[in-house]
Amino acid sequence: MLNKLLNIVHPWLIKTLGRDRLEYVASNTINELTQRLDPFIWTYDCKVKVIAIRQETADTKTFVLLPNQHFTAAIAGQHIELSSIGPDHSANRCYTLSEITAETVSITVKLNPEGEVSPWLHHQAEVGMIFNSSLARGKFVHRDQDKVLFICAGSGITPAFSMINDLLAQSNNAKKSSDSKIGLFYRTQTPENTIFSKRLTELESENRNVKVELSYSRLPVDIVTPSFIDQLMSAYPDIKQQHVYLCGPELFRNDVIQYLESVDFDLDNLDVEQFTLPVISSPQESGEISTLEGDVSVTLKSQNINFVIPASDCDKTLLEAAEEQGIVMEHGCRSGMCGSCKTNLVSGEVSGNKIGRSIYPCTAFPASNEIILE
Amino acid sequence: MNQPASSPSGVADEYEEIHQAFEQIKQKYRADLGEKDVRYIKKIRRNSRIFEVIGRGLIHVLPGPFALIGVPFLFLHRNLEAIEIGHNVLHGQYDSFDEIPQFHAKNFRWKAPVDEVSWRQEHNAVHHVHTNVYEKDPDLNHGFLRVNDQVPHTKLHYFQVPIYLFLFYPFMLYNFNAQNLGVVDKFRKKYFPEGNKGYAVVDESLRVSKAEGMKRHKRAVRRVWAKEYFVFPLLALLTGFGAIKVFLANLLADVMNSYWIALTIQATHFTEPLQPEDAIKNKGKWYISQLDSSVNFKGNRWQSILWGHLNYQVEHHLFPDIPAHRYPDMAIDVQAVCKQYNLPYKSNPTWRAAIKKFVGAMWTYSFKNPDVPAKTAFLDSSAFVDKEAVNAK
Repeated sequence: MLNKLLNIVHPWLIKTLGRDRLEYVASNTINELTQRLDPFIWTYDCKVKVIAIRQETADTKTFVLLPNQHFTAAIAGQHIELSSIGPDHSANRCYTLSEITAETVSITVKLNPEGEVSPWLHHQAEVGMIFNSSLARGKFVHRDQDKVLFICAGSGITPAFSMINDLLAQSNNAKKSSDSKIGLFYRTQTPENTIFSKRLTELESENRNVKVELSYSRLPVDIVTPSFIDQLMSAYPDIKQQHVYLCGPELFRNDVIQYLESVDFDLDNLDVEQFTLPVISSPQESGEISTLEGDVSVTLKSQNINFVIPASDCDKTLLEAAEEQGIVMEHGCRSGMCGSCKTNLVSGEVSGNKIGRSIYPCTAFPASNEIILE
Repeated sequence: MNQPASSPSGVADEYEEIHQAFEQIKQKYRADLGEKDVRYIKKIRRNSRIFEVIGRGLIHVLPGPFALIGVPFLFLHRNLEAIEIGHNVLHGQYDSFDEIPQFHAKNFRWKAPVDEVSWRQEHNAVHHVHTNVYEKDPDLNHGFLRVNDQVPHTKLHYFQVPIYLFLFYPFMLYNFNAQNLGVVDKFRKKYFPEGNKGYAVVDESLRVSKAEGMKRHKRAVRRVWAKEYFVFPLLALLTGFGAIKVFLANLLADVMNSYWIALTIQATHFTEPLQPEDAIKNKGKWYISQLDSSVNFKGNRWQSILWGHLNYQVEHHLFPDIPAHRYPDMAIDVQAVCKQYNLPYKSNPTWRAAIKKFVGAMWTYSFKNPDVPAKTAFLDSSAFVDKEAVNAK
């Protein structure tokens, strides 16, 4: 009863108050009682709530998520990491946002019967469920180029789909009779399991500057299909004038890159999302912390900033290394006395000045290749 | 210790030794952080809640002037929330305990009309780093205060004692925001002949836009006003009790809270000498400058809680992010180190004496050229270097 009411109240609250005002009200009224009453609003964590589930194809579902007030605006092409999901609430997974509106974000998940999390999402997740989420992150985002071509395969369609929608919304808002061109080359198995197939056709017919080319890998044998590279070539002969965003399985990516190289494509005009890489790559086995090799990736959760400390800078303090990258972190004395920079370690390892998981970036050094700070 | 006295390295070594001595105290208490601290802060919060219920309850139901009986309870609640909980939590003293996210500096929201983000910047990262440094420490001359002869004198300063005692201190907490968000800088720039000369201004890199500053100020103030002057009076009105009575009682508690905090914090720094600007560059020197710029006043453990342990200002400035209820214990170790190295450890016998002293300083420097001897920083005095020489002999 209460839950059903909250399912209506939450979208309304976020829509009318806005996240900023809701944060003001919630953070000033949080206590043990309110936390128990509604753990979605009165919480210190970024959470998302499932508000709708849509079947896209036989084995693909889109989950429309309502993030709470801790979420900040997402950019088309970015992803979020859901944590404490799966059958025993212990898995973490990254999902590209396939659709972004002012209040909601959507993820589109393909069922992998052998997987752990996607069957759980497909069969157990229901409207009203709440997950912990990261803020939106990732640099696979468009930069307003005039002529763009998205080349993707399988569930690699998700960032392309959100970017195409975003580009169209932008040009509609600006009402400019732009000569921008958006191309999409999308390789899937069959017409039946082409994600967003209906909406892609609609996009193409409604917008004159959009061209969608679908390519199928598993058509009945009696239909002769050219290789997809040939199809790409004939559909977009002017590929060298476009900015290409590439997203899909590794083999697919390699084929495309090989082709682009063969036509002397300027690789500066290519963005690639390494979509299928395992998300959680913790190179560290316990113990060998002192011998840190390679670059260190640092995430500042509250500021939603991610930066890389080059291997040569790993002897610098976290504060110095961040400043080297042009990142501003709260600090005071720079010598570990005043506690202004104190922050908590979410994952990874640091050495130097720390109390448990509380660390002092001004006098602490990276000790693992991936560090996430609060 | 047996370095040749004349060489500069002898002094440098002594600084390092002093640094290590204080570092050891810090590590000792850091290692001891645990369940005890979590229990403590939770207990203070629970008591604050109990005081709030009693205070608001009495103010709500008792007729007319009898509602005053509830004011001290409400004051206790506001006071605990503002300093023993708020000030200390915002220093990050409880950040290392995962189980109490409500007491992490970045999650915590004050029940005081002060914006947390700008306060943390001003207080933790500037005041605590450059304590009593001329033109660097914003707390040294809050508003337009003049407590040393280096600050240019204006006509306004002749009246600084009554202005502060009767106009500023009753609303001290509200004034903090004006300082942290840069409003006071603009006032001085406009009305003082020499502008901000002699005062610490908000660092350009930390300055927020006017709109953002205004927004933060309004939000910080409105959350308090909404509760104290709208919701609870309205509640009284709706239940048939006197709304004006509740309004006035809450106002009284608000003013008491501000005044109490003003008298507590003003008594702990500005009577002491100005410090060299470069003290922060050497950890030993920094510890010495903190000792030299802070002064305690004595009180028992109960009183200390009501002062947010800011009467242990020396310990607080040496170790700003160790939970404050540890300071009475740490004081013993700190005093031992001070004795060993012949360092200043300043303490007023009572709160009253401390207040008398700081109001005296305000009075003295309300005149242009007061006839008082200048105070020299311990680091600049010969005492420290001389002792080196004595040791060597």
